[in-house]
Amino acid sequence: MSPSPSTLSPIAFPDVALPESARRLRAEVRAFLDEERGRGTVLGRPDSWLAGWDPGFSRRLAERGWVGMALPTEYGGAGRGFLERYVVIEELLAAGAPVSAHWVSDRQAGPSVLQHGTEEQRRFFLPRIAAGQCFFSIGMSEKSSGSDLASVATRAERTADGWRLTGTKMWTGGAHVNDYAIVLARTDEAEDRHAGLSQFIVDLRAPGVRVEPIRLMSGEHRFNACHLEGVDVPDGMLLGRRGDGWKQVTGELAFERSGPERYLSTFPLLVSLLRELEQRSATSEQLARIGILTARLHSVRRLSLGVAAALDAGASPDIQAALVKDLGTRLEGTLVDTVRGVLPTPADPHATPGSHPELLAFALLHSPGYTLRGGTNEILRGIITRGLERRR
Amino acid sequence: MNTHTTATGTPVISADAYDTGAFYADPDAIAVVVNTTAADAVALPAPDASTAELLAAAQEAGRRAVPAPLAETALVARPLLRRAGLPVPYGSLSYAIAPELTVRYAHPAASPVGSAGCLGDEDALLVSGTLRRVPWARAATTVVVLATAPSGPVLFTLTPDEAVLTPGANLAEEARDDLYLATLEIPASRVRRVSPELLDEARLRAALARSALMAGAAERCVELTVAHTTARTQFGRPLSRFQAVKQEEARLIEEAALVRTAVRAAAAPLDAGGPAAHVAVAAAKTQASASAAEIARIAHQLHGAIGITRLSPLHLATTRLWSWRDEDGDETYWALRLARSLTATTLWPTLTTTP
Repeated sequence: MSPSPSTLSPIAFPDVALPESARRLRAEVRAFLDEERGRGTVLGRPDSWLAGWDPGFSRRLAERGWVGMALPTEYGGAGRGFLERYVVIEELLAAGAPVSAHWVSDRQAGPSVLQHGTEEQRRFFLPRIAAGQCFFSIGMSEKSSGSDLASVATRAERTADGWRLTGTKMWTGGAHVNDYAIVLARTDEAEDRHAGLSQFIVDLRAPGVRVEPIRLMSGEHRFNACHLEGVDVPDGMLLGRRGDGWKQVTGELAFERSGPERYLSTFPLLVSLLRELEQRSATSEQLARIGILTARLHSVRRLSLGVAAALDAGASPDIQAALVKDLGTRLEGTLVDTVRGVLPTPADPHATPGSHPELLAFALLHSPGYTLRGGTNEILRGIITRGLERRR
Repeated sequence: MNTHTTATGTPVISADAYDTGAFYADPDAIAVVVNTTAADAVALPAPDASTAELLAAAQEAGRRAVPAPLAETALVARPLLRRAGLPVPYGSLSYAIAPELTVRYAHPAASPVGSAGCLGDEDALLVSGTLRRVPWARAATTVVVLATAPSGPVLFTLTPDEAVLTPGANLAEEARDDLYLATLEIPASRVRRVSPELLDEARLRAALARSALMAGAAERCVELTVAHTTARTQFGRPLSRFQAVKQEEARLIEEAALVRTAVRAAAAPLDAGGPAAHVAVAAAKTQASASAAEIARIAHQLHGAIGITRLSPLHLATTRLWSWRDEDGDETYWALRLARSLTATTLWPTLTTTP
């Protein structure tokens, strides 16, 4: 039996060479981060894209052109490439910088409005997003729609000059502090459950929006149940085409699943471990475990960069993105376990903020979420195997 | 052996263990680097091939379990000979990195530099000791040895018939022969004093070549497993329709992709040299070796009983992974090298050295 061409070729990852401009950009971001550390805003905390909310930091970042940086200049963006954006956000996440205020507007809302929005929507939202003055939440999941997003029950009913939205969105991160949410709602009944869904831009301060906190097990308030109790949304806030909601939502999943936030969420804890070890002399066993973890971080980063390069080239690497998300988010949990094993430390949520026991507690309490958010990993693994079999 | 030879042409390796006598892991079924007319041959890359091309060829050799030192020849021995300024012989080559070998100068009284600055007899060596588990030594025309002379690192060549060869093999029954050198004199023409950097480069090259072979074997584990779970029906449906199977299969695919990417990411840094090469290669071999257990475990588990027999070709890939993870430095060795100099401030810059 002679081997056929590689079975893995359908999920090939392109080789990556970052542009020369990326090297300069990286240095600029590092200099900016040093400055911000001086201000006391960059604290090296894990999961800073979920929990590090600092609109002032977001605005200063925007002043450098690093929010919405891949948006065209005519809409206030920096017109930079997707790989350059990658460099900026991986630097921010590795440093544990507070990026959660603008996170969704930068990662999803901006690109969605650019791709699907009307000219009027682009002119209104994109410059505000790029200025760090307009923050978005995601209104996709519901009580009965976790991994199975097509089962959303939120309804949008036609009114004289727009739509009336009724339903409850779950896990809307930052809905209590942000300006808008992109809401997926059913506009039409259809035989095909993926049809009849549409996306709306909902003003979170509009009448009928009621935001109810969902406290995390750590007690933190990051997520909400966002009740839409007959919220009137004007026609001009329909995002994209009526009935195209499913296509629009799934089209952005590769962006959402493959970025550096899928393997760097706990990275600052490893930095903290190394800081602790500098005060002792590390044993070979400790170093070997750190080295194995570092090799895996290095390798997952290369895969993640490969997806970024494919996206930059206009491809739709959905299977590769699912693969990166599963590998990367499992690694985020492994990192916490390894750090705990290398230097046994009782996790203490009440220890001095920023101390190793406190960071460990924080990362640990967040850890079950890593493999859930952005698509539960078990479901993603189905996407991976199906992708390989279908293309054989 | 299915090597097809003709008198002239570009040397290639055609043997594919999946359809040769080597399928049954006969240690004598060694394909040598020869000319071939086989259409699907894994070609030994041309001497001027880029590192990326060499890695791709080594990966393909690993995927096909080619019973010959293709990676050893193309990625390790040939480049080291060129670096040292020695001629590159025709055919299969191998290497040994042996700083523990006893090396003396054969004519210590001679002037250190010959006439016109050329090396004279004074660099002739007397070497004693054993080169352990040299890959494919019995099939190699030349073995490139890196050792430490009183003056510092040296590179020299020997032919296997100059040594006492004790055949050995790894788990995959690939030849790993001991070469005993009894105060063997190596003429100065086959000796070069080299920099400590070249000694280090030899280790990096060997580790990356091995990692590329492993990436290929990992890929073969995926191919065989996906083919099996798609074709094999139990309880009225293909194994691949079972959720429990999908979960494991996806992890296998992911782990193989991780190894392959880590290997490819090291191509440009190896050419560039310096710290970037060290980081990328150490990460690649650490990852390849660390992933081997999981890849082999899942592939076997999903193959069921047939996979643990010679009725299935799976063993060709998994026994190689189990052997290769230890060869040219295991994950602990390379993880230590990677972590040794890491600090809280250098960790992230190290990870972003490339690109």
